[in-house]
Amino acid sequence: MKRTFPWPIALDALALLLWGLMILRYWWTGRLAVLLHPDYHWLAIGAGWLLLLMAVWRGAALLWSPKSLNTPHIALLPRRWSLAVLLAVAAFGIIYIPRPFTSDTALARGIADPVALTRSQPQRFARNTPPEERSLIDWIRLLNVYPEPDAYTDEPVNITGFVIHPPNWPEDYLMAARFVLTCCAADAYPVGLPVQLLGDRTEFAPDSWVNITGTMMTATVDGQRRLVIEPEEVLPVPEPKNPYEF
Amino acid sequence: MSQFNQGLTLFLSLLVEATPFLLLGVAFSSLLAILVDERKLVALTPKNPVLAAISGSLFGCLFPVCECGNVPVARRLLMQGAPSALAIGFLLAAPTVNPIVFWATWVAFRDQPSMVFWRVGLTILISVIIACVFSVQKDLRPFLQPAIARQLLPPEPEPALATASDSPLLTRGTYLLQSTGTVKLDQPLASTLDTAVLPTATWTIKAQAVLEMMLQEFRELGAVLVMGSAIAATVQVAIPREWILALGQGPITSILAMMLLAWVVSICSTVDSFFALSFASIFTSGSILAFLVFGPMIDLKNISLLLTTFKSRAVIYLFVLAAQLTFVFTLAVNLYTSW
Repeated sequence: MKRTFPWPIALDALALLLWGLMILRYWWTGRLAVLLHPDYHWLAIGAGWLLLLMAVWRGAALLWSPKSLNTPHIALLPRRWSLAVLLAVAAFGIIYIPRPFTSDTALARGIADPVALTRSQPQRFARNTPPEERSLIDWIRLLNVYPEPDAYTDEPVNITGFVIHPPNWPEDYLMAARFVLTCCAADAYPVGLPVQLLGDRTEFAPDSWVNITGTMMTATVDGQRRLVIEPEEVLPVPEPKNPYEF
Repeated sequence: MSQFNQGLTLFLSLLVEATPFLLLGVAFSSLLAILVDERKLVALTPKNPVLAAISGSLFGCLFPVCECGNVPVARRLLMQGAPSALAIGFLLAAPTVNPIVFWATWVAFRDQPSMVFWRVGLTILISVIIACVFSVQKDLRPFLQPAIARQLLPPEPEPALATASDSPLLTRGTYLLQSTGTVKLDQPLASTLDTAVLPTATWTIKAQAVLEMMLQEFRELGAVLVMGSAIAATVQVAIPREWILALGQGPITSILAMMLLAWVVSICSTVDSFFALSFASIFTSGSILAFLVFGPMIDLKNISLLLTTFKSRAVIYLFVLAAQLTFVFTLAVNLYTSW
């Protein structure tokens, strides 16, 4: 008698395999940094390997004992539905390349508004760091603690961020911004500092990455007195391996 | 287009961050279902309703199950003669008060570690209150489905029940499908359970059973996680920020909105903190807390599970009490704490 092919087991194994591969592929291609805080990469990678092992175990059942499948179980969703959802997402996740958030997202989240500086409480006080070594988020945390822009006048700056063109700002202003992550992309929030250019901002396209060196000054942007970078040099740079700050 | 990409990045990041915790949750619940004998636990627990309620709500540390796994365990506790306060306390608190959920919440809210303590403290408080309310009803049988109530009736244990509980934990979850679908309610429960009891329990068979359970739970909860993540990503990307801001900043509206969301989304408690995280910057802390406390107690998904054990009247009591208490306490958090 010809044995029918045990599709349910094969599909289980395939779903586990694809999920594992999806996670591991993000790791191999370096895209995990777009999704997660580096502290938690090991968790995701471990889960990826575990899923692969489970796929192997499930796949082995194809060869040996496909009978064991008939255990009854709580059925919230019909088994086929759950399988279809898992398979579809994994297949998509393996093809799709996740991209970091863009300037549109930052604008939609109200980055141009100086009130919305940051929601995180400062973890460390960066005042001790020499100004030219402060990252963008260090500057923002400092401003959170002591918001008076004049306090920082003439301090040297050296930061890297992506370009935003806030619509209400004059043409010679752009914002250098970054997203800050505490856990994963779901909690990313944008921070940024205004940069007063000598020329027109169209030279630097939105979402392109720049390294800015210069000094701090105070200026009025869009009716608000703010800390502004007066650049000596604005250099286009490639997107950093990890686009977020922490 | 950029919104679409943003949504997908959000969606995938929630999935990738939550998958390890989901796997950990299903692994632990499957392992412990096989290793822990709850009859011994029941024998050890105090009979005083308040103490029983407290120990019930702390049982979750021994059974790190999410809200899908706790209904079968609570039912077994009841059937093995646990006081109602113990079973109800366990039912409400276990999905939250367990090490895996601590850790996941800690990871998600690293910026606000107090969220972990509020979540656990409030869950225990609400569970103990509701368990004490239920303990006033000395005989829970009128609240239970007839098939379960009948099992509680006999003063001495039936021989058939004893066979089933030789290995009671291996039967985890097997009864539900049948009770809702295929099995007549007048059929003795033990015979139903017997069908799924593994004949001999060598460690290879146990390991096989653990893996089988893990896979089944991962398949189901994974699908729910996918849908939950999709909803979270869509809400963030598609709904205008002004609306969400208006809703999320009001001390009352934000709590109601997050409770409704918790009820509808039905996301597993091991991963719901990541879901909540995506709302944390806009919604009041009290409302995030309401989501994290109320969701694991009662949601759309586990109402159908609860109904396999409890009559609808009891489920409504549970629901109303849990909702009211969560609302009142988290509103107090919003209004009277600066957190």
